[in-house]
Amino acid sequence: MSSQNPINGSEDQGFNRCSSDHYSAKWDIVFVCSALEKKPLLSCFSFETSFFLSLFLQILVEQESYVRTIILNRPQQLNALSFYMVCKLGELFTAYEEDYNVKLVILKGKGRSFCAGGDVAYIVRDTIAGGWKSGAKYFWNEYRMNYLLATYKKPQVSILNGFVMGGGAGVSVHGQFRVATENSIMDMAYFVFVLLIVFVEQPRTNSSFNEVFAMPETAIGLYPDVGGSYFLSRLPGFFGEYLGLTGERLDGAEMLACGLATHFVPAKNLLAMEEALCKVTTSDPAVVSTILDKFSVQPHLKEKSAYHRIEVVDRCFSRRTIEEILAALEIEALNSSDDWIIAAIQSIKKASPLSLKLSLKQIRKGRLQGIGQCLIMEYRLGCHAVERKLSNDFFEGCRAKLIDKDGSPKWQPSRLELIQDEIVDQFFAKMDDQEWEDLKLPRRDNLPALAMAKL
Amino acid sequence: MASSSSSSVDQVSRRTQILTNHLNQSGFAPYSSSSSSTSLEFSACINFSPPELSERIEFDTKEMRKLLDAHNLEDRDWLYGLMRQSNLFNPRKLGGRVFVWPDYNQSMEQQREMTMKRIGYMIDRGVFEGWLTAQGPEAKLRKLALMEVIGIFDHSLSVKLGVHFMLWGGAIQFFGTKRHHDKWLRATENYAVKGCFAMSELGHGSNVRGIETVTTYDSKTEEFVINTPCESAQKYWIGGAANHATHTVVFSQLNINGKNQGVHAFIAQIRDLDGNICPNIRIADCGHKIGLNGVDNGRIWFDNARIPRENLLNSVADVSPDGQYLSSIKDPDQRFAAFLAPLTSGRVNITVNAVYSAKISLAIAIRYALTRRAFSVAPNEPEMLLLDYPSHQRRLLPLLAKTYAMSFAANYLKFLYVNRTPELNKAIHVVSSAFKAATTWHNMKTLQECREACGGQGLKTENRIGHMKAEYDVQSTFEGDNNVLMQQISKALFGEYIAAKKGNKLFKGLGLEHLNKSCPVTASQLTSSTLRCSQFQTDVFCLRERDLLNRFVAEVSEHQAQGKNKEYAFILSYQIAQDLGRAFSDRAILQTFTEAERALTGGPLKEILGHVRSMYALITLEEDSSFLRYGYLSTDHVAAVRKEVTKLCSELRSHALALVDSFGIPDAFLSPIAFNWLESNSWSSVQQQLGGTTFASAI
Repeated sequence: MSSQNPINGSEDQGFNRCSSDHYSAKWDIVFVCSALEKKPLLSCFSFETSFFLSLFLQILVEQESYVRTIILNRPQQLNALSFYMVCKLGELFTAYEEDYNVKLVILKGKGRSFCAGGDVAYIVRDTIAGGWKSGAKYFWNEYRMNYLLATYKKPQVSILNGFVMGGGAGVSVHGQFRVATENSIMDMAYFVFVLLIVFVEQPRTNSSFNEVFAMPETAIGLYPDVGGSYFLSRLPGFFGEYLGLTGERLDGAEMLACGLATHFVPAKNLLAMEEALCKVTTSDPAVVSTILDKFSVQPHLKEKSAYHRIEVVDRCFSRRTIEEILAALEIEALNSSDDWIIAAIQSIKKASPLSLKLSLKQIRKGRLQGIGQCLIMEYRLGCHAVERKLSNDFFEGCRAKLIDKDGSPKWQPSRLELIQDEIVDQFFAKMDDQEWEDLKLPRRDNLPALAMAKL
Repeated sequence: MASSSSSSVDQVSRRTQILTNHLNQSGFAPYSSSSSSTSLEFSACINFSPPELSERIEFDTKEMRKLLDAHNLEDRDWLYGLMRQSNLFNPRKLGGRVFVWPDYNQSMEQQREMTMKRIGYMIDRGVFEGWLTAQGPEAKLRKLALMEVIGIFDHSLSVKLGVHFMLWGGAIQFFGTKRHHDKWLRATENYAVKGCFAMSELGHGSNVRGIETVTTYDSKTEEFVINTPCESAQKYWIGGAANHATHTVVFSQLNINGKNQGVHAFIAQIRDLDGNICPNIRIADCGHKIGLNGVDNGRIWFDNARIPRENLLNSVADVSPDGQYLSSIKDPDQRFAAFLAPLTSGRVNITVNAVYSAKISLAIAIRYALTRRAFSVAPNEPEMLLLDYPSHQRRLLPLLAKTYAMSFAANYLKFLYVNRTPELNKAIHVVSSAFKAATTWHNMKTLQECREACGGQGLKTENRIGHMKAEYDVQSTFEGDNNVLMQQISKALFGEYIAAKKGNKLFKGLGLEHLNKSCPVTASQLTSSTLRCSQFQTDVFCLRERDLLNRFVAEVSEHQAQGKNKEYAFILSYQIAQDLGRAFSDRAILQTFTEAERALTGGPLKEILGHVRSMYALITLEEDSSFLRYGYLSTDHVAAVRKEVTKLCSELRSHALALVDSFGIPDAFLSPIAFNWLESNSWSSVQQQLGGTTFASAI
């Protein structure tokens, strides 16, 4: 196998904002590293050239006859998606879709993580400095890339051997095949992770990871994005509401059980599986599926899994409002000694009340919309969040959990009953700014049936 | 937990199996260069292209939906989602999409049980909370919104709930007093009791005052004794009676000390909590019907069944323990009118349901017409989309415009109903009668046209439209036969006319104020801009109503002058009565449309609604022969109208997709031909169905 630098790989099509933003993406790295090293910003300048190079190494591509394997290569940051990576993925997906010699695209992560999500550091820092536009630009490119993947014309396999967080779900769940392993951990903890990488000292132990993953995304004042309103709402029953509101993490067996993954392959078989996949000469999904089946096993769903409680989850999380969901959970808690109900209640109570309402509304709306409409809706929410006119909970959550680490965010409003419906509705409306526009999705023609069904 | 965990493991392995089937079989044909025998190459033949990719959307469909649905959008979406996510609602995946519709291939008994199970699921999720116990217009609107959504899934489910909540629950609310409310409303809301509504009899339907069931009072035991004296007095079509209902409201003549006090309503238990039929009650099934087989309609006979004195619903009349008849309303006519109040809520419900049914069928037929092609205009040219044929536009787009108009009318009626005052009762009775008849007739016409417009595909039950014809046919009969309602409207207008002329007063209410003004004059030349002017449209509708009312009064008076009594004079004037009823409905509907339009401040939404309104008005002018018959329009006028309709068709063609998208009916509640029908009919789809892929939620 030969590794190649993808920068020369293809013409930029549909993601043309990327090239003009290389400079900004480069700065991203500088800032991240400056924070990591706890050095004054200026001292990083001497590293500029090497960082510039490292930028291009954030995504690697392996080429094997008809198969391209894209590797997210930012292991120090658990492969969190920098702005550069978001744009580059969009470019590569576009190029491979059009390249007749590419039949199958594989996506995997370097190290023990598949992808730790979006780059919240970038968004927080740049929006504090320069307003909503830089955050919006990140979302714009990321969601367009998610849309491309959701409507991809060729089979695509994501190997989820490690952490899959928020934005990481966005680059995998939309694809046709998602392979989980015993190392898979999926968390809807949107954006949380990168900040942690930035602010937490290395090296980390497994126990510190557990602390990290215990935080639901609503606890930092966010809501599902990267198409989460589409795929969470399509999980069995009301499991999506459960995941979205509590930020519960899933292992590989659970991912398979609820449909977030399509296959479960023991990590020791991955190498052989990849070798077999690389011999593929067709874009027939049945062929890919047969190969994956050969390496798949039936995982054991752990006793404590919430998936065993799917009936209770359905009963509670199908209720109309957050308040009613909480009330239903509390009634269940009275009749049960099951820890997970208490855990679910606590997660919800700790979360930003506004985020909870936004998340629920978004999942409910998402259930009745196509993928494109979902991403357009999420883009509006994302822009409102970084604009901070309607609410500051996103930044407040980051401050309390990740910057000041006082662990007690001051949510505004502080209680569910104080939230006016109008505020929630405004998040779903267009942003009142001359320079703002709704997310424009790339045009998709001649789609295969599977992709068409998602529109 | 052990047992549940093992079942979850089964679930997991079952899911894996299903996913494997799914992935193996989902055809990726256009990109497949393999020798895979399961995927057929169809790229060389016809390609499906979703209309979203080619049609322009020139106004905000979400804003339009807000206008059309008008209230409780989020509650509606919640309930749509609630149904979509549960296996009880029979989700099926076709062409990569999930659809929900009841399995009409089940036996009648199975369909009835499914209806009850679906109700049970919704009880557990709190869907019905506050339906009877919450006060105020907001709670009523929420209930109506949720009922509409339920009706979009299945008419049986909506009717079954309508009987329990609107008729049984409504009777207790309106005819009962505090003791009944305390005892029954909460119990009804949480289904501790299951109610039905025993009004119609084999021998009497619309003529409720003629029913033959008789109730007497036994002061010794302080009980009423209900009896079915003859076969024609058996209660008939009683929804819920055949299988499930535990209680019923019985309508019966009340005979006290040998004197008939007219029709009264009583509560009687018909089944015990185990479902056994009570003593002195006999129940039989109405059997299989052309539609609504998820509702257990039954027949009831009462064999001197005894009920406590307290079970008389006594808001207008009571019987004292010693057997004295007491009523605050002395006039039996007025007493009877008070009884009929709950039927109004039924008519409101039917009106909105009919409009949503028309919306479903149009959304399906128009989406299909935007993807299905037939015949080329010239050799070697691509075949033409069905909706690009002017004839196809003429079939569907006027119906679309009418559905828009009736959507505004239904909303007007709903708001009138939830904000009603005693003074408004008469208006609500007349308007609900008019709109119920207009919308249900319109719905049946729309369903038939849409069925034909979908060709053979319209005949498949999974495509909904054809089947809905049978499901919705009953609407023109129940809660008042449409023809009878039309006559009632004319009678009511006659009453208004006489009252105004006799008292030398102005017309007030029912939108009749235009009669106080001078008679509108129509231009002799009808240009395109005149035809599209809302003032012209209103004038010509008002002109027809005014003239027909004058003619109706004159004809009835003439019959009376010849010595016929008033009732018979009405009966003989049926032709003008029918025309007048329609004239009133059409004018009232147009009025609600122009008012909705006026509330907008301009922009693309208002502009497109202007075209739709013109289409509604002009197609009515073209189709209703009364305009020509009575000379409100000349033959030249009608020719100009027809030409304008054609123009409007081609203008609305480009907005057709956006206009049906604005209905806000989720994809899962439409049907496979509304989407990728090539894929849902493909061989791989056949394989998936055989593999039992009912799992609905795969991403």
